[in-house]
Amino acid sequence: MADGPDRNPGGEEAADLSRRRFLRGAGGVAAGGVIGPALIGASGCAAQPATQPAPAVPKGPEELAGEIEIELAINGRPSKLTVEPRTTLLDALRTRLEPALTGTKSVCDRGNCGACTVLVDGEPRYSCLQLASDLRGSAITTIEGLGTPAQLSVLQQEFVAHDGSMCGFCTPGFVVAITACLKRDPKASEADIRGACAGNLCRCGTQPQIFEAALAAGRRIAEGK
Amino acid sequence: MALEPIPSAPILSTREDAQAPKKKKIKTTKVVNGVDTEVEIEVDDVPTVAWPERSKLRVLNHDIPRVDGPDKVSGAARYTHDVRLPGMVYAQILVSPLPRAKVVKLDVEAARKVKGVVHVLVIQGESTGWLGDPVAAVAAETLEAAQDGLRALAPKFEALPWSVDHETATKSGAPAVTKNGNLGKPETDGDETKARAALQASPTRVKATYQVPIQHHACLETHGVVVDYRGGTEATVYCSTQYTHGFAAEAAEVLGLPASSVTGINEHMGGGFGSKFGMDKQGQVACQIAKELKRPVHLMLGRREEFLMSGNRSGGIQTIEAGCEADGKFTGFLVQAFKHGGLGRGSLAALPYCYSAAEHYRSVQSVRMHLDANRAMRAPGSPQASFPMESIVDELAYAAGIDLVAIRKRNLPRDASWQRQLDRAAREIGWADHPHKTKPGPALGTECIGIGFGVSAWGGGGADECEVEVRIERDGSVVTACGSQDLGTGTRTYMAAITAEEFGLPVAAVAARLGNSRLGNSVASGGSVTTASLAPAVKDAAAKARVAFATHLAAVLGLPGDGFRFEPEGILHDGAKAPTAMSWKKACGTLPAEGLRANGRWVESLASRGVNCTQAARVAVDPGTGRVLVLHMVCVQEVGLPLNRLALRSQIQGGMIQALGYAISEGRVIDPVLGIQLNPNFEDYKVPHALEIPRMTAIIDDEDTRQGVIGVGEPPVIPGAGAIANAVHNACGARVRELPITPDKVLQALGKVV
Repeated sequence: MADGPDRNPGGEEAADLSRRRFLRGAGGVAAGGVIGPALIGASGCAAQPATQPAPAVPKGPEELAGEIEIELAINGRPSKLTVEPRTTLLDALRTRLEPALTGTKSVCDRGNCGACTVLVDGEPRYSCLQLASDLRGSAITTIEGLGTPAQLSVLQQEFVAHDGSMCGFCTPGFVVAITACLKRDPKASEADIRGACAGNLCRCGTQPQIFEAALAAGRRIAEGK
Repeated sequence: MALEPIPSAPILSTREDAQAPKKKKIKTTKVVNGVDTEVEIEVDDVPTVAWPERSKLRVLNHDIPRVDGPDKVSGAARYTHDVRLPGMVYAQILVSPLPRAKVVKLDVEAARKVKGVVHVLVIQGESTGWLGDPVAAVAAETLEAAQDGLRALAPKFEALPWSVDHETATKSGAPAVTKNGNLGKPETDGDETKARAALQASPTRVKATYQVPIQHHACLETHGVVVDYRGGTEATVYCSTQYTHGFAAEAAEVLGLPASSVTGINEHMGGGFGSKFGMDKQGQVACQIAKELKRPVHLMLGRREEFLMSGNRSGGIQTIEAGCEADGKFTGFLVQAFKHGGLGRGSLAALPYCYSAAEHYRSVQSVRMHLDANRAMRAPGSPQASFPMESIVDELAYAAGIDLVAIRKRNLPRDASWQRQLDRAAREIGWADHPHKTKPGPALGTECIGIGFGVSAWGGGGADECEVEVRIERDGSVVTACGSQDLGTGTRTYMAAITAEEFGLPVAAVAARLGNSRLGNSVASGGSVTTASLAPAVKDAAAKARVAFATHLAAVLGLPGDGFRFEPEGILHDGAKAPTAMSWKKACGTLPAEGLRANGRWVESLASRGVNCTQAARVAVDPGTGRVLVLHMVCVQEVGLPLNRLALRSQIQGGMIQALGYAISEGRVIDPVLGIQLNPNFEDYKVPHALEIPRMTAIIDDEDTRQGVIGVGEPPVIPGAGAIANAVHNACGARVRELPITPDKVLQALGKVV
């Protein structure tokens, strides 16, 4: 994640890591493996305060509990949604947003498969490892923000042309991951492309077509076509 | 307008036209839970519609980008997992964490009190019978609350004795899965005495034991359903299934509604591979909760539950003794095999697989364990048979000092397509220049290069189970519809393409509708039967629509009905006196308000069956670390009449990649003492990733000129593991007889670790 100077709970501070800091600073790790029953029990089962608006991420420590209303910048539009502190960006997009953005897929829910990849401030991120409340103030781009069936991005067009999807469940994650790679370098080599989607899993075995699609898109982008 | 001479119109006689048709018997494929079985049926013996010659195909037999591609690459494609309905609740399932256990505590009251929880269902309150056996379900307003509810159940289990490994399960007095114990009755074939005598007389003999793991389907979209029942007399079930009609019928039963009142919807599905036919326990549970709450229920399995309870490819152990003559001709073949299918029987294709020996004998037994039952998985039973088969072929070849390609050609039928496919695969993989043809290379250096081969076969025939409707509307729009499902194989695309071909239209001008049980009946998609069942019915419907359209136009224009040609330029006719041409849109404008409809059924002569496939693999092995890197895989496969070459190559490559996983990294790992699966997630259960994908050469064997459509999904998943195992041995002499071929096993085979 795009850690700023105010987002580092590590080092000597780790000893007195509190729940609020835990949420604020180590969101990615927390949702993936560290989040414990104690925290979940506390936020899920205890008496809850009524829904309250939470401001954009403040500089200092912040305590969040219960159902909170947050605003996220998703695909260039501010979106208000109600989440819990533990709600991942993935679940926020798929189950909390109205209307839901379901192009981002939930497959492993623990950072193993890449199907939930989104762009956070332009960088590819597993949305299942990000807490939604941590991303106030960040620009989030989902697969829906890259193109529509009627107006596909160059990469999406090449995915179709090269048959880069079969069942298609992994496809959005691959498209997002490779979009970021080609944005960094349209002339990315096949090795670069493979590296960019090494964290994405496909069970149908579409990878060879995906590599071709990515290289073809890169050529078109580099040539400005 | 100038017109080319009109070729004589094809004869389009359909079933309805035929006068009291004679009957004839044909062989066809019947699929029972994904297993391809040959049966004989009676059909009308009438002249019928035919596919155009390959050279005349304008759309088919070309690369056709899939019509739902734009939806899939933009996130617009809606899967069951993505369905959102007003008032919908999320349900989650608690499964048995042990293979057998007494349920000591289940705090249902505490779960009910969790904020957001709306329903708690105890599925199995007393004891569990297998690892992953569903115990309870919780439904809540949010996914998080449903998970809280499961935790609040605070279940306590008391372990009961179990059998989850071969050794335990086959001991006398082992905890038994069935009242008859764990070891099934041996199924035998062949003459043991003759096979042993043939082996005795063989100049070359080898004996070895091979083991294959349980492989998971690992569908990216887990099993599940969204049941839209809000009380009343109607329901809709959104289902990730390979059998939309069957799923809807099952749901109707649990909901207590007539089958005619329940609609199954399956627009897109995230993988099935043989594991998604019935609605399973989770489907029943979702229906029960929906019935109780009168609210839509979303129940998709979590990843761990998916690994534990949604079926698998059975594993097994096979001991083979085989012999050959000095020229490589197989003499005798003895097999003793055990299948590991959990609660199920397991699955294993007949050995010897593809090859034949003068005499053979086999004995195959199931070993039951307290694990979920195996299910059909892409070419059920075949990869399990191919790996030991191809391995022993190589073991014999090395023992007899025979070229690895030559021994295969010697033992496969002389007239079989495998002969030419082996030549082609050998050429593509670089066999001629390879130094190790009759003995493996030395385990020296860090990159030992080896080559291996394998062959496979599958039926892939069709059956008369699909009802297709082609509709032409007055505004020129065209729809081809059938309630089938597209598993990602490209069904939707060929439905549109076949109709487009018939009318000279672009593929985009035809809408294909499927994945809805209200549409025409369709076969369950397993055993590669869908294409050979559905494509002929589409062609039949389209051809009938064409005849009907021509008849209509003849009446409108006062022209003979048999002279119409439907071309990209429009609808052409040489005319009685002068040629005429009409645009598609204008011609459709002459139709009555209801447009034109035609229904199609399976036409036997449009399908074919029986596909052979040959693969070769080139690998690099580091004998110091045991690491195997697959560098190149080649597949040459028959496909009958190719509908969509692009999707075909994707299918073939996809099969090869699944075989790659089976070869080098996949396998369920169960701790027999703890009674848990150690790898029920995508971190520890390793399917191939981008960095491991080798160079792929998928070749459609165009020397197969049959003008019938065949399903092609199964053959490419079969021979890859054997080919890779053989390549590893060929590279450095490491004969790994147990899949997956992990570095420790390579080092062990080289004698570097004990």
